[in-house]
Amino acid sequence: MRIVFLLLSALLLLSCSPKEPLYNTQSYVFGTLVDISIYGETDERAQAVSNGIIQQYNALHQRLHAWKPSELSAINQAFSAGKSITIKPDIAQILRDATALSTQSEGAFNPAIGQLIKLWGFQNDTFIPHQADENAVTALASKNPKMSDIVINGNEIYSNNPAVQLDLGGYAKGYALDIGLTYLTEQNIKHALINIGGNIIALGQHGDKPWRVGIQHPRQPNAIATLALPSGWAIGTSGDYQRYFEFDGQRYCHVIDPNTGYPVQGMQSVTVLIPPQAQAGVLSDVASKPIFIAKANEQVKQASVAGVNDFLIMTAQDNIQVSTSMQAKLNWLDTEAEKAAKMVTLE
Amino acid sequence: MIVSTIVVIFLFKTLWSNAPASQLMIRQGNKVVGTYDLNQNRELHLHGPLGESHISIVQGKVRFKQSPCTNQYCVHQGWLKLAGQVAICLPNQISLQLIGEKKPYDSLNY
Repeated sequence: MRIVFLLLSALLLLSCSPKEPLYNTQSYVFGTLVDISIYGETDERAQAVSNGIIQQYNALHQRLHAWKPSELSAINQAFSAGKSITIKPDIAQILRDATALSTQSEGAFNPAIGQLIKLWGFQNDTFIPHQADENAVTALASKNPKMSDIVINGNEIYSNNPAVQLDLGGYAKGYALDIGLTYLTEQNIKHALINIGGNIIALGQHGDKPWRVGIQHPRQPNAIATLALPSGWAIGTSGDYQRYFEFDGQRYCHVIDPNTGYPVQGMQSVTVLIPPQAQAGVLSDVASKPIFIAKANEQVKQASVAGVNDFLIMTAQDNIQVSTSMQAKLNWLDTEAEKAAKMVTLE
Repeated sequence: MIVSTIVVIFLFKTLWSNAPASQLMIRQGNKVVGTYDLNQNRELHLHGPLGESHISIVQGKVRFKQSPCTNQYCVHQGWLKLAGQVAICLPNQISLQLIGEKKPYDSLNY
């Protein structure tokens, strides 16, 4: 009788607190935090697969670094010298994709403005508060560097405009999400969540429920809302609160308007949700930028042009626009924000 | 009856989602330094690539008190106390993550 009781207790304990098969690891790559969760595998296997992803990311980071010696900075040197240079096929494909996305956004997403990003001090691990020289900003912006200045012939690349300097800071993290998802699938992993500097892509789910993500409040250290991220979906935010400096009471964020050459003002965050597709990760990184850069009355129009149905736009604490489709997915945590949110229906 | 049901649903939603945290997980680089009880007073000094970060735990909340990084985003984040809250010092590669009874989300989009 006593043994039966003990066995029952043991069974009860086991059923109450089984160790959840969830592996989580963090690394620092791309100048940011990479957080990988894998569900339903042994810790050993999950660790091996995570290491495989991190190795790929480290290699990609070195190849695409914009201000240290890399394949990308070699291209930039060739561009400013007016020469052509041989590149690897995958880099050629990245640049073709980035050009297509840049054209689609009518130049609002523009990875050719490396010189402006450098001028504002964002090609650095830390940012020194300063006001960039007005003449220098105007001069660089007026040279109008754009992705369509680039010509790719097979493995040869050159630029018709020497002012073009590539910086894939608004693309590489999203691209890495797609690479990570492909690798996970190849490795036969069924359930995982990859977070690269806040951009997240989901595979499968967390046990019997979808993966859940929180959306950071741009001015408070807590989440504003949460939502389920089903398999294959990706989420990305452009914000003025992750990479910025303050000078003379003014906030200068890392997102630069290619038209003016100045950091975007008066915008706190734009979050977009991207349904499953070949480039879901890239789009989660890229699609928020044109909305973030758009003029005050044109943000929703930009979202519509980019084909983004699910968005959350915050220009201030009490100025929040959320698409009806996004609203249906959100579980608000911040009741003030929930009250302030205005619903936007896309035509 | 209806009112009390609404109150209960509201409380459930609020407490479930905005639940205070009970534990703090600290990581340096890719290593978990440790998991700490949040209900205590404790000063922690951790070493990252840039130098020493000073982390303060005060009865249910935690913050970066001092950091060797230039932009001080981690210090400016202030006190964290809710489950799921995260503070990351990228330059010094130290992250704080608050853990509660229930996990409000798996990962944070920012």
